[in-house]
Amino acid sequence: MTNEPMHEELRDALAAEAVDALDVEEREQLLAHLAGCAACSAELETLRASAALLAFSAPHRPMDPARSAGVRSRLLARAAQDRESTTQIAPAPPLPAPGDDPDVTLIGAPPPPPTPAVVAPIVVPARREPDVIPITSARRRPSILPWLAAAASLVLLVGVGMYAASLRGRLATVEDRYQTAERERFALERRVREREATLAAISAPATRVIEMAAARPAAPSGRMFWDPSTNRWTFFAHNLPAVREGREYQLWLITADQQKIPAGTFRPDAGGSAIVQATYALAADALAAVAVTEEPAGGLPQPSGEVVVAGAAAATEEE
Amino acid sequence: MMGACAADGAGSNFGTMNPSLPADPYSLQGHATVADADGALLRRMAAGDESALGALYDRWSALVHSVVVRIAADAGDAEELVEETFLQAWRQAGRYEGARGGVSTWLVVIARSRALDRVRLAGHRRAAAAEPLDSAESAGALPPADSTPLDAAEIAETRQIVHAAMEKLPADQRETLELAYFKGLSQSEIAESTGLPLGTVKTRCRLGLQKLREALSVLHEDRA
Repeated sequence: MTNEPMHEELRDALAAEAVDALDVEEREQLLAHLAGCAACSAELETLRASAALLAFSAPHRPMDPARSAGVRSRLLARAAQDRESTTQIAPAPPLPAPGDDPDVTLIGAPPPPPTPAVVAPIVVPARREPDVIPITSARRRPSILPWLAAAASLVLLVGVGMYAASLRGRLATVEDRYQTAERERFALERRVREREATLAAISAPATRVIEMAAARPAAPSGRMFWDPSTNRWTFFAHNLPAVREGREYQLWLITADQQKIPAGTFRPDAGGSAIVQATYALAADALAAVAVTEEPAGGLPQPSGEVVVAGAAAATEEE
Repeated sequence: MMGACAADGAGSNFGTMNPSLPADPYSLQGHATVADADGALLRRMAAGDESALGALYDRWSALVHSVVVRIAADAGDAEELVEETFLQAWRQAGRYEGARGGVSTWLVVIARSRALDRVRLAGHRRAAAAEPLDSAESAGALPPADSTPLDAAEIAETRQIVHAAMEKLPADQRETLELAYFKGLSQSEIAESTGLPLGTVKTRCRLGLQKLREALSVLHEDRA
């Protein structure tokens, strides 16, 4: 403690350290002092806390919402992948960053591979001296040069191997993102096709509409769109009471000759609504009515339960 | 050394130190809601719950993005840096120990370090060097849509308080702090780039940070 800094210098140093602006030599001095001085350590803590708030002085620039959503989904996909891989493989030790160790020059050896971006370094607040001195900074002596060279080769080999592994990891990440995007695209396309089919079925020139009135006090209602040209049936229902466990609603097409054709079973959503689509060829003049009954789950060949909604088909205008 | 400092350190020597300040007057930890929620998210992340990472992202990505844009300027870089910052937070969540300043400070330390590394690596300090603080825009800006209103209000409030504190600083002190924090320059590098004597840089840095601390603590006590 012979060359202790003056108090003024000490205060300067604490403030500079709080914003990571202290130069190397002064920093070493300060760290040595801090080890034995609780008051200065506490002072540094409060200065650091204030310095940390400088982050809030950056002009507010939130990401564009769409781009932010993209970053978010990539992040979560990488996190999930990360978790899967770390549960299978023990985490590798961090690769020493190139240039960390100016004391060792590997003559004739190729430069170390660049540190891959996906390897997360330990958080070091600033670029200055690392607290951990790597083993490789040992003094060079002629007699240990061959050993050093061998060790360096080994380090290099390990480094190259890890770099290759990390490249494979990045490739896997990219492939994964691509597949995720493809799956999303397929799902969206399928939904669009379904909607287009629904719209086409209810908006076709020949589509007939059968209104159904409630058959009991809960006021459920339904509407069937039938496009005879494509045999598409699209049924919307609202206010349907929830069905018990093991029961479902079943849709029936009732012909003029009292045939009851099952046209699908369904359960309404929490709000009592349901959409049912079916394809069934029926002569344009054959339909007499549409009805919904409550049946055992999976439906029956012939209705057995109570009619929930029903409606008679109006005569086709085109005939 | 130790004796000399301890004897008068907290009193005359560090005139701005105030022993009666609340335990943590300088950070968001004063807001129990945000800090508690952040701590819970970190614990869930450490347990492998990605949805917690999503929630942390929703809460802090705007701040992290603002910081890396300020440091690294390039928008493409900034998005990548935000992603890497949160990925690192995910990987190190188990090692997080309720540090002073809370989770936001921890995230910003990661983001700043990565952004400065990126700028140094690219060898271009052009970044946002000449960009002035635009307090009118930032203070009045809308909170990000993906934060809950309460969080957004608290974060916006902190932002406004810090902006007000920064504006009270003399311009030369503010600039010195910004060069250190957002450019990652050391004091001798600041002296070199500004042409000021090193001693002046040191004084400005100290005075600026001490005033900032004072201003932030006073504002915090007003709110408490």
